[in-house]
Amino acid sequence: MAQGWGLGALINLDHYGHYIQWHVIQISVANLIVIILMVATFVAALFAPFPGRRNRKGTK
Amino acid sequence: MTKKPFRPDVDAPEYHGAYVPYDIIKEGAIAFLVVLVLTAALAIVFSSPDEKAVTIKTWSNANTVDFAQTAGDELTATSDVATYGAPYNNNGTSQHWGFLSPEKWVGVRIAVNTTNDFVINPLSDQPAQPQLTAALDQWKSASSATQGAWGAAYTKVEANLTYSNGQVHLPTTAAGPIAVLLSYETQMARSGALDQALIAQNGFYTTNYTKPLLFISDGTYFAGLATKQHLAGDQWGMMNETGQYPGQAWLWLYTFWYQVPPYNTSASGDFLVWGTMMILTALMILLPFIPGLRSIPRRLKIYRIIWREHYAREA
Repeated sequence: MAQGWGLGALINLDHYGHYIQWHVIQISVANLIVIILMVATFVAALFAPFPGRRNRKGTK
Repeated sequence: MTKKPFRPDVDAPEYHGAYVPYDIIKEGAIAFLVVLVLTAALAIVFSSPDEKAVTIKTWSNANTVDFAQTAGDELTATSDVATYGAPYNNNGTSQHWGFLSPEKWVGVRIAVNTTNDFVINPLSDQPAQPQLTAALDQWKSASSATQGAWGAAYTKVEANLTYSNGQVHLPTTAAGPIAVLLSYETQMARSGALDQALIAQNGFYTTNYTKPLLFISDGTYFAGLATKQHLAGDQWGMMNETGQYPGQAWLWLYTFWYQVPPYNTSASGDFLVWGTMMILTALMILLPFIPGLRSIPRRLKIYRIIWREHYAREA
């Protein structure tokens, strides 16, 4: 945790991490959360409508 | 003139559809601001990993016996680094696959003689002390065969090495001056002088920590710390971070190979993994030229989800 200027993190993550193991697969909970967020962002980018589409008229 | 047939994934069809305005500068600016705010907010909430550096001083004080045993391996040139081969020395086979051995082709580029660089030279630079000077003279004046015999005697009793009252004790009298040399080496290490001596070999101003890092890597202390934090190679460590922080998730494929045969059983595992990733990277770079693979995006039709309004109008 950074100690400069007397400031520290609001949430201290400097403890031993949690890991999930399934056969040869081993992944930290933190990495799993990040991967789930990345996949969710990708899916959202696929299905979210383009902004301003209602005001837009297609032009040839 | 006959018209050439249209080739999917190679020829670009002429576009007759509609066009819509799109401000990529605006999108880039918004994305930049969002990432900036997210970075600042996450840094305030979670900060960042801040593990203290492991030095020879911290190692030798935390696990003195492990340090002394490793120093003995360096002195007798039986450690992993001493027997690795290129780029450090010519004492090993280096990593290879068949006749392919880039390490051997490049040769010894970071010459490390563990006996002299890690033990004898740092001790020789110490202020003169009768017992140390005598032990150094005894080692330096001995023949290679005698040094080898002392080394063999040391290796036999290494597991029973003990440390007390500032001295290393070996349950043998056949190891020549090794116990005395290791005692002074351990004193140097515990005071921090050995860290300085190994760095100072590279000149006055240096950020080259190669030698202390190689020394530390030969012991079990550093590997033990890494294993506790799930950073070892057989723990998918390449994609992990210390503490509960997320790590380098994008290295999942690189580190995956280290978990399965033949990569995790081969002495040339690093080279095999690197070679595999280079082949896969070449496939990615050459994707537009590889029939079949280049058709995957067209066949998956994910682009039709993104541009669904356009395709709905066309239907």
